[in-house]
Amino acid sequence: MIKTLASSGIITLALSVVFTTASLAQNPKLNDAEVASVAVTANQIDINYAAVAKAKSKNADILKFAATMSNDHKAVIAQAVALVTKLKVTPKDNAVSKKLMADAEVTKKALLSKSGKAFDKAYIDNEVAYHKAVIGAVEGLLIPSSKNAELKALLEKVVPALKVHLSHAEMVQMNFK
Amino acid sequence: MSKYCICFILTVLLFAGCSSSQEKPKAYTVEIKDMKFIPDDITVKQGDTIIWVNHDMMAHDVTEEGSKLWTSSIIPSGASWKMEVTAAANYYCSIHVVMKGRIRMQ
Repeated sequence: MIKTLASSGIITLALSVVFTTASLAQNPKLNDAEVASVAVTANQIDINYAAVAKAKSKNADILKFAATMSNDHKAVIAQAVALVTKLKVTPKDNAVSKKLMADAEVTKKALLSKSGKAFDKAYIDNEVAYHKAVIGAVEGLLIPSSKNAELKALLEKVVPALKVHLSHAEMVQMNFK
Repeated sequence: MSKYCICFILTVLLFAGCSSSQEKPKAYTVEIKDMKFIPDDITVKQGDTIIWVNHDMMAHDVTEEGSKLWTSSIIPSGASWKMEVTAAANYYCSIHVVMKGRIRMQ
């Protein structure tokens, strides 16, 4: 019962991210510096989750998935940093990036409280929910908010990768049903 | 027509036939772009070469799916890998396992 409640807690947290980004998408008020900050933050959060998985899991599929998330999201951040450097834009913290990071810290603590198969299931459930939320935020908020064409193009190029990550996560999740 | 002349004509026709049936191997390109193999289904002849070019910002690989008979190892962003085709195969990216492609033999 406690385990069930704890698992549902993780999912609830993940879904709260979905609803948060969805509601924010209805009221986009971000400039390019803020869009860049949200993009980097969203990628860094998944790198942080991957680090937790690397430390806690012994499951080969989870570890492989986490390594892919870490490498791919680092690649996206590198591209984003190169672009903002070229554009002479300094990413600026804002309500969205702060909310994303605050929610992620809560999720990270919940993940750290688990171990074994319960951790693996919670991690991959969260990855599915998180990627759905981020895809929604990138398509519904960040791309429409971007003024600079190169920033918009970079965000558009990231979407297929996020969708492949989601499909991959859903495939791994099937092992934990 | 002398028998030497007939022999010469037959020899010329024989060489002409051989050269037309032994086409030079071709090189084909598969783009890796937006997390897809483009084209994801390609038909080649034995001895042809396929070059996979990674245009994505992420690293990929190209790995035979059934028994891992061959693999490119990691293809970094902007890099490419080529292979002479010896048999039909289903392949995938072992990093992003939902990315799949197919090689058919003509």
